[in-house]
Amino acid sequence: MNRLIDAVAAAALSLTFFVPGIAAAKPIAFAHGTTVMGEYGAGTMEELQVFYAPRYFYSVGGGHLALNSDIDGRSRDITYARFNYLVKRWNREGAQANVFAWGGAGNANVSESSGEQFTWNAGLQLDYETRRVYASLKSDLYESSAFSHRIDTLQLGFAPYEHEYDGVATWLVVQGRRYTGEIFDGTETAFLLRIFKGAIWVEAGATTDGKLQAMFMLNF
Amino acid sequence: MFKSIMLTGALLMAATIAQAGTIEMKVNGLVCGFCARGIEKTFHKNPAVTDVVVSLEDRLVAVQTKDGVDISDQELRATLTDAGYDIKSIERTDTPVAAIRDRLKSSAK
Repeated sequence: MNRLIDAVAAAALSLTFFVPGIAAAKPIAFAHGTTVMGEYGAGTMEELQVFYAPRYFYSVGGGHLALNSDIDGRSRDITYARFNYLVKRWNREGAQANVFAWGGAGNANVSESSGEQFTWNAGLQLDYETRRVYASLKSDLYESSAFSHRIDTLQLGFAPYEHEYDGVATWLVVQGRRYTGEIFDGTETAFLLRIFKGAIWVEAGATTDGKLQAMFMLNF
Repeated sequence: MFKSIMLTGALLMAATIAQAGTIEMKVNGLVCGFCARGIEKTFHKNPAVTDVVVSLEDRLVAVQTKDGVDISDQELRATLTDAGYDIKSIERTDTPVAAIRDRLKSSAK
């Protein structure tokens, strides 16, 4: 299974670099734009983020991440401030690809000990999209003296039709996610329906375990 | 005679510039309506702009300017760059944005 995930990740990366632009959730919307994102990740993670972009290539903001171990019930509540940076963007005719990186710091409450822990965070996202296909690979690392968790998420999407600017966009997305640090054992796979129109983006679906996976995003 | 020709030419040029104009821009990377909202938002903030239309299918952003007002290519490029996109070409026409919008709707049917 791991080899399969690696192969799919490699394919997504190849797409990112060698095929022309994806409808991926991005931590930077546009200059002077605010992005609000919330995710419910199958009972294993919940996250809320707010970012403001003074320029098109960076945004600042913060978020809250709750991790609940599917293995032993341990939990982490992490509140952080973050800086997101657009490392590289390729705009092509009918396609766009991006490399984003971010870093941040905050505090975490850890279920197995009292008091707050200093936490730092770093991550990377590669995405590629056209009006019909999309791929995104995101890796998000949270470290403290009490824990180390990395969340790797791969998404591959397909649009049954090409949406117009003022129309409703519909995407069918398959998501694979892995956690390190004994949050979840193996790969969590989910099938999602993504819909967006105007400034509102929602996606919802279920994991192969039958758990809810959902996300919303607003850009304004 | 030469002065008259020059004066007539200058008046004709001034009349052309003074007309309400449309600027049509072909844009690279224009694939996602959700992501492209910054384009419309930014152009609507520009006091020279009266109307904006975006087409993903045609990779087109068209803006209509107020009578006698133009937007420089440099400012257009900066606006699109700030929205996260690259301009491939810029063309000034006298087709109203409303007519472009109608044309896009017709071609989409």
